[in-house]
Amino acid sequence: MNKHLNLLLLATENLLRHKTKTIVVCLCIIAILSPFITAIAISEGIRAQSLASVKAGADLYLTFDEFGRNAAIPLKYLDEIKKIFGVTKAIPRIIGRAFLQNKLAVIVGINKEDLPESISCISGRIFENPNEVVVGHELAGHFHLRTGDQFSMRGQQRKTFTVVGFFSSDASIWGSSMILMSFKDAGELFGKQGVATDIQIHTLPGHNSEIATDLYDIFQNEPYRLQDKHMVELYFKKGFMLKEGIFSALYLVALSLGVPAILVASGFGLSERKKEIGIMKATGWNTLEVLEVISFEQLLISLLGATISILLSILWVKGFNGVFIAQFFVAEITMLPKFTLPARFLPLPCMLSFFFAFILTMVGSIYSSWRASTESPVVSMK
Amino acid sequence: MIRTENLCKSYHCHTRHEVCAIQDVSLHISKNSFVVLHGPSGSGKTTLLNILGTLDRPTNGKVFMSGEDITSFSDISLSRLRREKIGFIFQDFHLIPRLATWENVSYPLIPLGIGQKERLEKSKVLLEKMELGDRLDHSPEELSGGQQQRVAIARALINNPKIIIADEPTSNIDDETSERVLELLKELKSSGTTILVATHDAHFEKIADVVYKMKNGRIE
Repeated sequence: MNKHLNLLLLATENLLRHKTKTIVVCLCIIAILSPFITAIAISEGIRAQSLASVKAGADLYLTFDEFGRNAAIPLKYLDEIKKIFGVTKAIPRIIGRAFLQNKLAVIVGINKEDLPESISCISGRIFENPNEVVVGHELAGHFHLRTGDQFSMRGQQRKTFTVVGFFSSDASIWGSSMILMSFKDAGELFGKQGVATDIQIHTLPGHNSEIATDLYDIFQNEPYRLQDKHMVELYFKKGFMLKEGIFSALYLVALSLGVPAILVASGFGLSERKKEIGIMKATGWNTLEVLEVISFEQLLISLLGATISILLSILWVKGFNGVFIAQFFVAEITMLPKFTLPARFLPLPCMLSFFFAFILTMVGSIYSSWRASTESPVVSMK
Repeated sequence: MIRTENLCKSYHCHTRHEVCAIQDVSLHISKNSFVVLHGPSGSGKTTLLNILGTLDRPTNGKVFMSGEDITSFSDISLSRLRREKIGFIFQDFHLIPRLATWENVSYPLIPLGIGQKERLEKSKVLLEKMELGDRLDHSPEELSGGQQQRVAIARALINNPKIIIADEPTSNIDDETSERVLELLKELKSSGTTILVATHDAHFEKIADVVYKMKNGRIE
């Protein structure tokens, strides 16, 4: 035990003695790991928030189908749908996009009584009268909107809306640029009366197949599309993987530059190290003991690099709200998101980061060290 | 104590020509003897010492130490042999530059699991004996050649080896320090250590029990 402790202490001293090398290797590890850990944390945060909202959402989503895409569904079927056995609630919604001056906003039109409980987190109040809207934090901040302010959407100036409330800054990422209004107002805004972009159907457990059969009877000759929670979840994951893929591709380019840098940095002072290993062997050290010291050095430097990377990533997300990196995961946001970016620092990616750093530093040093320690001490000391 | 049979060592040196550093070297070194290898540069003294000190392996031939054929030893067994029985003093000291004097001396004790305090104590005793008690925390660069050589000697002695092998121990130091080194080796011999020295220094021959003359890789 004392022997291993001695070797660990020696490794620590070696790192302190070679400060420049230690700092360079650490910086390389941080440069590689920090974006990775930050990206994973943001990705996990958004994924968790999205899946939570899907889980909290409706059991079935009903739309029409045009050219293989979701299309607006006429409201004339709403009463029939509500009467199907097993349907507890059928909520028509209008979800669209429109410009408020130069900024694209997500318009959500829903009847006040159908608002989900998760939309209670606001300052001001919810809409009650015609043309009243609740505005997302980012949008409100961008236009310095206050309660009572009035505005019209670009190109649709026939309607003037009055701001009556705001989503708070810790609302979900989708709430940041959202304008929430009554279903009727949204229909009027887009000039589409009598249709909804989708109907959310809440059902009793285990009734989805029977409800699907009844819907088939109702929409016999109509091109409709019915998706359950599981399918929505799958579509979401698929879309999210695409975004992660774009980040991964960019990260791969950065990694292809970073890895050689770390390998070169790990091998700094190779001739000096080789000579030192020769002296160690000449004075009675065996190969395993030499390699144990080298491994301890790499272990410590990886731990140090990974720990600093994790701390920097936390600072990046919590302190700087994922500046520069968030836009890879959330569409149509600025470099510095105006809403609180969801992030989850899970133990597994942190552990993987450490192992990745350890493997990288080991690759950069272990082979040359092994060669030096298995050669005759005379050769290594030259 | 040490016996060799037809030792040969040849190098290729990245050329087609084979260079034989030593050829058919057979010698016998008794326990507690003072043996001097004498010969001109390139005669194979250092190569022979390296092989006897287990720092290099022969191309052919055998080395017996306390009756055991050490040429067949594994890497770990050779390391153990160096740790327990052999102290090597190099011509160019081979100290680790970034370590303090006492750390260089105690370096062989680290894998033995000896704590830092005890290592410091042992090094201090030896360095005081070498009249370097006031240089414990100095780095090798801050020491003269003679002082560095004494640090290297202290390191060679830290494990109380039965055999001291010294390669030109006085070639890089002044006359006064050479005499000190010589005296020290004599002391070691009188305390029961076997001494094997390769040198040009005639003073060593005067006190040696046996002198082997080497020329062109052979013992004359």
